[in-house]
Amino acid sequence: MQHIIEKVLTQIESVVLGKPRECRLALACLLAKGHLLIEDLPGMGKTTLAHQLAISLGLSYQRTQFTSDLLPSDVIGVSIFNQDTKTFELHKGPVFNQVVLGDEINRASPKTQSALLEAMAENQVSIDGVTYDLPTPFFVIATQNPLFHSGTYPLPESQLDRFMMRLSLGFPDLKAEKKILQGSDDTITGEHPNVLNSEQLIEMQQAVQNITVSSDVIDYVIALCQVSRYQFMDDKKLPQNKAVLSSGLQCAPLSPRAGKSLLAAAKAWAYIDDRDYVLPDDIQAVFYEVCQHRLEPQQYQNTAGSSSAAKQILGLVDVLNPLAY
Amino acid sequence: MKITHLFNKLLVKQAVSKPKFYLTRSNAWLLWLSQLLNIALLGFELAYWMLAIILLCFCLQALRIQQNVKPDHPNPVNSQLNWLALKTVSPMVLLIFALLGCIAIAVTAKSFGILISMIHLLSFSYILKAFELRSRKDFYQLILLGFFVLASSLIFTQNLYFSILAFAVLMINLLVLLQYFSPSNRVFKNSKLQFLLLAQSSVLAVLLFLFFPRLSPFWQVPLAKSAQTGLSATVQPGDIAKLARSSELAFRVEFSEDTIPAYSQLYWRALVLDKYDGRKWSKSNEKNIWGLALFQKELKGLETLASDEAISYRVTVEPSFQPWLFALPVARTAETGIDLLPDYTLKSKRIVSQTQSYSVTSYVNQAKLRPLTKTEQRINLSYPVGSNPKLEALGAQLREQFQSPQDRALAVLTRFNELNYYYTLEPPLLVNNSLDQFFFDTKAGFCSHYASAFTFLMRSAGVPSRMVTGYMGGEINRLNAKGGSKGHLNIYQYDAHAWSEIWLKGIGWVRYDPTASVDPSRVNQGFSERLAEQRDNLDNNFFSLQSFKHFAWINNLRLTLDLLDYQWTKLVIGYSAQKQYELIKRWFGQVQSWTFGLIMVSSIVLVLLLLFFINIYLSKVRIKAKERTPWGALYSKSLTLLTKKGLTKSPDETVNHFAKQVALKFPKISKTFYKLSHLFNQLNYQQISHEQQLVLLSKMKNEFKSLNQQVNKLSYKN
Repeated sequence: MQHIIEKVLTQIESVVLGKPRECRLALACLLAKGHLLIEDLPGMGKTTLAHQLAISLGLSYQRTQFTSDLLPSDVIGVSIFNQDTKTFELHKGPVFNQVVLGDEINRASPKTQSALLEAMAENQVSIDGVTYDLPTPFFVIATQNPLFHSGTYPLPESQLDRFMMRLSLGFPDLKAEKKILQGSDDTITGEHPNVLNSEQLIEMQQAVQNITVSSDVIDYVIALCQVSRYQFMDDKKLPQNKAVLSSGLQCAPLSPRAGKSLLAAAKAWAYIDDRDYVLPDDIQAVFYEVCQHRLEPQQYQNTAGSSSAAKQILGLVDVLNPLAY
Repeated sequence: MKITHLFNKLLVKQAVSKPKFYLTRSNAWLLWLSQLLNIALLGFELAYWMLAIILLCFCLQALRIQQNVKPDHPNPVNSQLNWLALKTVSPMVLLIFALLGCIAIAVTAKSFGILISMIHLLSFSYILKAFELRSRKDFYQLILLGFFVLASSLIFTQNLYFSILAFAVLMINLLVLLQYFSPSNRVFKNSKLQFLLLAQSSVLAVLLFLFFPRLSPFWQVPLAKSAQTGLSATVQPGDIAKLARSSELAFRVEFSEDTIPAYSQLYWRALVLDKYDGRKWSKSNEKNIWGLALFQKELKGLETLASDEAISYRVTVEPSFQPWLFALPVARTAETGIDLLPDYTLKSKRIVSQTQSYSVTSYVNQAKLRPLTKTEQRINLSYPVGSNPKLEALGAQLREQFQSPQDRALAVLTRFNELNYYYTLEPPLLVNNSLDQFFFDTKAGFCSHYASAFTFLMRSAGVPSRMVTGYMGGEINRLNAKGGSKGHLNIYQYDAHAWSEIWLKGIGWVRYDPTASVDPSRVNQGFSERLAEQRDNLDNNFFSLQSFKHFAWINNLRLTLDLLDYQWTKLVIGYSAQKQYELIKRWFGQVQSWTFGLIMVSSIVLVLLLLFFINIYLSKVRIKAKERTPWGALYSKSLTLLTKKGLTKSPDETVNHFAKQVALKFPKISKTFYKLSHLFNQLNYQQISHEQQLVLLSKMKNEFKSLNQQVNKLSYKN
């Protein structure tokens, strides 16, 4: 399988130039069956990345541009009365594709946003009392503009939590930018055949799930989550040496779901790395993308700086003795 | 604000270069406090100007801690703590200040004496060192200096309470050190830990105390010039009354027999004053070779006496910074370092500057038989003629009236008893110390008045007589009375006394205490209630437990504390090389000196070995607790190897990440270390069978071996 992964990655990286880490993370997210949120300024290649992911993985996809007047039925679909058959017929919305590309999701009204997010959580939609299963694999790749842009509705914390990762692409380096400017406009379409089909993808997802996680690594994940919760804990329950952790750190606590997502993403990262066991390195590699939007949902800037909560938490936990503070 | 600004301008260079030494804020204050306490214990020995300088330095130091610099790169592990780097002081300013201080100390050295000037120098450098904490080395030096300062305070006082105080301050000093190494712990937690550590090391301390050879010092602590206490070399009539207001301890006595002589027999002789110049009594320093020869003969005679005539006891004197020692009459001692004087007093060869103890045998009932030489007769009869004409006349009258010297003395004592003489601690002032005025007009005085007048009268009546000063009585502390011992006797300064001795033909020197005629209770049970009350009113020491004697439980408490202090003095401070030898003799039987040395050396070696093995054992336990797995232990060993080369893995770093760091810094060992790290990862995180684990572990051990060799090679090349 490894050569296929390599192929997929090379293909994506040839389109999204100069961003190998982000491409890898996006792939890991999908392998871990997670939904992906890409947040950046307009024109940074968000849609390109989402698009290419869908193509390379050989999945059916449809892109929906979210606008403020988009209605839930525009996303999910609608039952229409057929005059000929005298029955209601379902007109499936874009959500019935394997990959749903929700462009600028935070431009839509909260009602529309939550319609999509419900589908993400349940893997099914109900229209007029009838429940329809969504196809497998099912991914939502959403992009959004930074929230200080005008005409945006911020996603609430509960809905942000449904995304396994929040990626930020950032500006390309000089070399990559030159290549982008030299390249033709139609790099995306046509030339890139599918590398995978959906069966293979499901197989891979299965393989990712089977990756070994030792109890040390689980301890490490628990320790990371614990650190984020200290400020909400009773003083008596805190570990003795809490002076190390007590001051400075202000963030939302990480939920058990966050811990699960973290493990899943780390497994996928290990899989891409061609390993059948997870290392703390994998946890650290995906930690920022998996946890930062849960820790600091209100911080909308590209906060790759050293002061982010995720970075601080990583700095506070001993890798080899995670639970022995 | 202004002051701090000025301070910044004058002394503080902003931290231009990156400071390398950090303390947490709380520890900086703790260090400051420990310095303050160390110096405070020495406070009484330092000159005022030095104290002023030190106080100024403390203020500056406090300002420095207030205005600390945030360090650029604090310890990443404990980045949440409140670290601070002290602002640096320009070395030039420090040097000038130090030089000025040294010059000042050197100038005053003559009046202070060597010891005190050295202590000034020590304290001064201790304070200045705190201004140049640039590295961990400086910090260690400062702490070490603190120990010296603390220890030097024990030169001056060694009693139990001060020792406890010094120990408490020592704890704070050590706490600073402990807090430095585990800064994230609370002070309370660290002090608990420290208590535990000290308790463990106290075993070693006791062993060392008991068995470490007490070598005679290669150099001796020079004598401190300190205020003399107790009796002085000369006595004027009013002197002892002043001394009697003090409730300080003078000395303690423990009798080896089960009887303590009657209170009225407890005349502790210190000085014999046989010269009177009309104002004060002093020791005549005329040479008396004949007397000395006779005295030697008499001493030999004492040896042949039956032993049941003798009383043996041990005296422990508090430092008085004077040479005289105390004993009951006709005392003999075999101690070296003590002279027996022909007037039957004892004198130390060195000034008593530390608690000192000696054993004495006294022949209380033995008369001092030796005949008076011509010189002695002349000295003990002379008085300045015309100094007290009325007394002289009375003396002449007595000589005519009574034949025997006894009758003459008795006549005077009767007069003291029957006429309206008054015994008081507040005697009226006498013009020119006139004994006439006292004897005929004021008729109120303390023991020295009566003894002076009596001796003077006896001399003018033609009876050889002399003045003796010392202590009378003592307080028995029976708390440790058990078996043969009846407890010990405390003699305080207020027991100071003066009396007379007259020489009777055929009998020798006989004690006559005129005070007994005036106030009999003084010589039978100590101060009468009236006198004690008078003393308490004069004594401004409100907190002295002495003044609450009549409350039973307070008195009990006082006696218990006294007993503790006595045992401390006797057992700990008085533990000399001689006692050590006796102890070992008692435990191991009669030993040759080389066996003695062998026992000591082997006990020390044993303790050191014990410590060594305990340390090894503990470190193994610690590794076990931290690294539950053999590969974890192996990995942390290799981390230790690299730490020695200056590369430390920070806790939040993963194994692979650290391997990359190693590859960057030491490319030569990178391959081996990568392999080792990978093996560790596999062992720790991969799910593998036990057999596979063993295979990987042996591989990892091999890698570790080659890593060890390679790291060692690194050091040869660098």
